[in-house]
Amino acid sequence: MKTETLTSDADLAKDPRIKLISAKIKKENFKPDALIEILHTAQNAYGYLPMNVLKYITKQLHLPPSRVYSTVTFYHFFSLKSKGDHTCLVCTGTACYVKGAQAILNEIEKQFSLKPGQVTADNKLGISVARCIGACGLAPAVVLDDEVLAKVNAEEIVNKINAKIVES
Amino acid sequence: MAKISVNIDEKNLEVEVGKTILEVCRENGIEILTMCHLKGISDVGACRLCLVEIEGVNKLLSACTTKIAANMIIRTKTEKIKRYQRITSELFFAERNHVCSVCVANGKCDLQKLGYKTEMDHIRYPYLFPECEVDTSHPWYVLDHNRCIMCTRCVRVCAEVEGAHNWNVMNRGNKVRIISDFNTPWGESETCTSCGKCVHACPTGAIWPKAIVQGQLEKKPEMITELIEKRKMNL
Ligand code: SF4
Ligand code: SF4
Ligand code: FES
Ligand code: FES
Repeated sequence: MKTETLTSDADLAKDPRIKLISAKIKKENFKPDALIEILHTAQNAYGYLPMNVLKYITKQLHLPPSRVYSTVTFYHFFSLKSKGDHTCLVCTGTACYVKGAQAILNEIEKQFSLKPGQVTADNKLGISVARCIGACGLAPAVVLDDEVLAKVNAEEIVNKINAKIVES
Repeated sequence: MAKISVNIDEKNLEVEVGKTILEVCRENGIEILTMCHLKGISDVGACRLCLVEIEGVNKLLSACTTKIAANMIIRTKTEKIKRYQRITSELFFAERNHVCSVCVANGKCDLQKLGYKTEMDHIRYPYLFPECEVDTSHPWYVLDHNRCIMCTRCVRVCAEVEGAHNWNVMNRGNKVRIISDFNTPWGESETCTSCGKCVHACPTGAIWPKAIVQGQLEKKPEMITELIEKRKMNL
């Protein structure tokens, strides 16, 4: 279970994905009714809904925690568990795409036989993609677990993933 | 108040508009079985016990959530209704693990009373025997999921009367469970004020105070109704 072991709130604030979520919340005018749309944004950015992200959304929308949890567990689309012990999210937004996101995905597929949305049989690694994580200046950007990696190349990413897997 | 005429169980009645069928029946001494209804809080039609037949409507409707309308011809005690009520109460017992003999609510439980009322002498459905947790983390109260019938009275009383919104429902299908906060142990809830309203609202032995022994549970749901009425008067 990787639902509780997450970044501290300080790290969360630095996470570019949280900016995506807060932008969405502002766009929706902090309306509690927009909960589902905002959860979609969060799930797309993280591949699942980490507990502290849920707590962040709950606070921002001034919703009762139980209401948020109820919504999340009602829809099969939402997941509270990380899909894989380690997650690698490759940004395929325009800037990252132009700077070689596809090459990274190709290399990952070659090395780990994983396509976006898949998890290795031992659940050690899951790959996902997102449309622009809001860090275009860092393109191509990859988020490995909770760490944002900037201006990466395919080989580097594969090495980092291998290191993570060995570590655990 | 404008009055309308209706007919319930072959009796002609003049009643006020805007009321539910259940309210009208109760005011006129017509018995309706209910489980999820608690006077004063909102109705959600969760238990399906208060079903009534309305002439011209080809399905049974829940009396607690259906507003009375002019010239309605309503029947509350047909064989069909009785059959459905018996099925519903059997399903309650089959769905979780109800062992009355060791329950705090034994003898004072609304579910048990329902079993007697619907003449449930045995259960025709296979018991599901789900694995259920007992949350004893709150210093004063216990939530035993084995005995919960998902009426959501606790949810509504906590949100609408106490304003704390501690409870809600998670998952769906037979995996549904009452949760506090983020499926947090009740004792670690950041929203519960420990007021005890849910204890009194719960019609079964699912929520109970620790300071009670088996069969000694005395719940006072009418306290909640009175509280709501007193608040209205103060306004
Ligand atoms: S004790 Fe009061 S505040 Fe706490 S869950 Fe029950 S109704 Fe809500
Ligand atoms: S805990 Fe009690 S009041 Fe709450 S849903 Fe279950 S049976 Fe109903
Ligand atoms: S396109 Fe990758 S961060 Fe914007
Ligand atoms: S009392 Fe009407 S559905 Fe439960």
